[in-house]
Amino acid sequence: MDIQIPKLPALPRLPAIAVSRRQALIAAGAAVAVIAAAFIGWTLFTEHAKEQQVATFANHIAASESDLSRVYEKISAHMRSVPKNPAPAGADASMRELAAIGDYGRAVTAYHRQVIGADTVPEAYTGAQSAYIRALDNLNRAFSLWSSAAAAYDIKEYTAATDTLKRADEAWREYAAAIADYERELRAAEAGETPPPA
Amino acid sequence: MEWKDIISVLAGGLVILVVALVVKPALYPGPEDPSIPGAAPPAYLPPAAVPAATPYPEDGPAYTRTFRWTSIDGGVHTTEVRVPEALFLEHRATPRFSDRLAYGRYALAEADQPILKDLARRIAPPTGNPEEEYYRLMNIVFFVQQIPYEYDNSTDSYIEGVLPRYARHAGVDVEYQKYPVEMLVDGKGDCEDASILMAGLIDALGYDTVLLRYRGDGLTPGHMALGIRMDEFNPYYAKYTPRYFEYEGKHYYYVEGTGYLTFATGNRTSWGKPYPIGDADGTGLEVVKSRRPEISPLRYLPTPAEYRIRPAGLPAGGG
Repeated sequence: MDIQIPKLPALPRLPAIAVSRRQALIAAGAAVAVIAAAFIGWTLFTEHAKEQQVATFANHIAASESDLSRVYEKISAHMRSVPKNPAPAGADASMRELAAIGDYGRAVTAYHRQVIGADTVPEAYTGAQSAYIRALDNLNRAFSLWSSAAAAYDIKEYTAATDTLKRADEAWREYAAAIADYERELRAAEAGETPPPA
Repeated sequence: MEWKDIISVLAGGLVILVVALVVKPALYPGPEDPSIPGAAPPAYLPPAAVPAATPYPEDGPAYTRTFRWTSIDGGVHTTEVRVPEALFLEHRATPRFSDRLAYGRYALAEADQPILKDLARRIAPPTGNPEEEYYRLMNIVFFVQQIPYEYDNSTDSYIEGVLPRYARHAGVDVEYQKYPVEMLVDGKGDCEDASILMAGLIDALGYDTVLLRYRGDGLTPGHMALGIRMDEFNPYYAKYTPRYFEYEGKHYYYVEGTGYLTFATGNRTSWGKPYPIGDADGTGLEVVKSRRPEISPLRYLPTPAEYRIRPAGLPAGGG
């Protein structure tokens, strides 16, 4: 038995492309315009996103600094009121105040550390961000040690309280060093340079 | 391709730009809101107020003790001290401080202050003559030195005849620091108790004092004495070089709290005189002669040395 191949229907004829040179130039120009618009748009978008990230970071630093200045108001008022040679009741009240400031400072630094730690920043600002976070961590440790010193004082462990405050002083100095690092990193980021070594 | 097609393509590009630069930033949680979802910015909570101590009733049960003592002019006096029983029992039921730096708290115990101030006024009545201040001071010193010495491990040191609940045992030794009114009620005590009582009385006169602790060892027993702040003390009649110790830039002269110099006539001790201020060697205690004491101020308030917040610069474009 012979196999018969059915006849395929005739394919429709493709229309002939008849493009003039002018039309080809216009099409190429449009393609270039689309690519340029996309490139410019993308560049503007990424630049804008970076600016937004820096602005967000800056606002978070500003909020942190504002809260820290409120903490410092409490600290400086307290330090001005520390009595010289106080009676036990006065000394106890002073230490209770120090503990309350320590708790406040610890909560403020923990809060802003969480906010700033969650920021996405351009690569140039990561050094500044990590230095500021380090500063907040050290300050948080110093405030925690203030609270611990006050707790030791409360149970009349004066030597332990004194030693704990010395450790708080060390943490505070590390905070100051971290702020200096932050300033240096920030200047370098804004100048588009590599920060000088500490 | 017609011009209208190119315009459509450009309009599409413009829409993309508007979405990227306007719509998305508007939807993005902006930099104006630095908060953490579910967390409020921390606020300052002031320390809770401490209720004032209830004064002991004047007419409640009390211990009355009569001290017969000699003042430095040779006069013999009788001074009565009344201590509310509730105050005494409260002290007895209070744990002792383990940190020697806190021993000043015994001397300055708030509830003891009215009794100490009253006793100090009676032993050393105020005078308008500054030259008599030294005699006032020495009368306090001599009064305390005349209170009999008793070791902490002796049950005779306590009116109950047993060691107090919070007496701390260290081998065969017992340590129990007495609040000033405890020593007054017991009528005896050791060098720590005498130094604490003397510190409380001299502080009530307005003088700055510290406790001097001489650490002992297996061979040499430790000791405690008082240091009284004086700018300069070098009387021409002294047959010794007054010894002082420097603490925070101030000079504290040695004052012995226990015992006094006695003069015997035949078999009988007839009279005595106080160990003078600055006479550390006169006591004959080896530990006092040879060692340097640890100094505990009566008033102690540790403060942080570092507390300044450094302002940090803001990134450009920030708030």
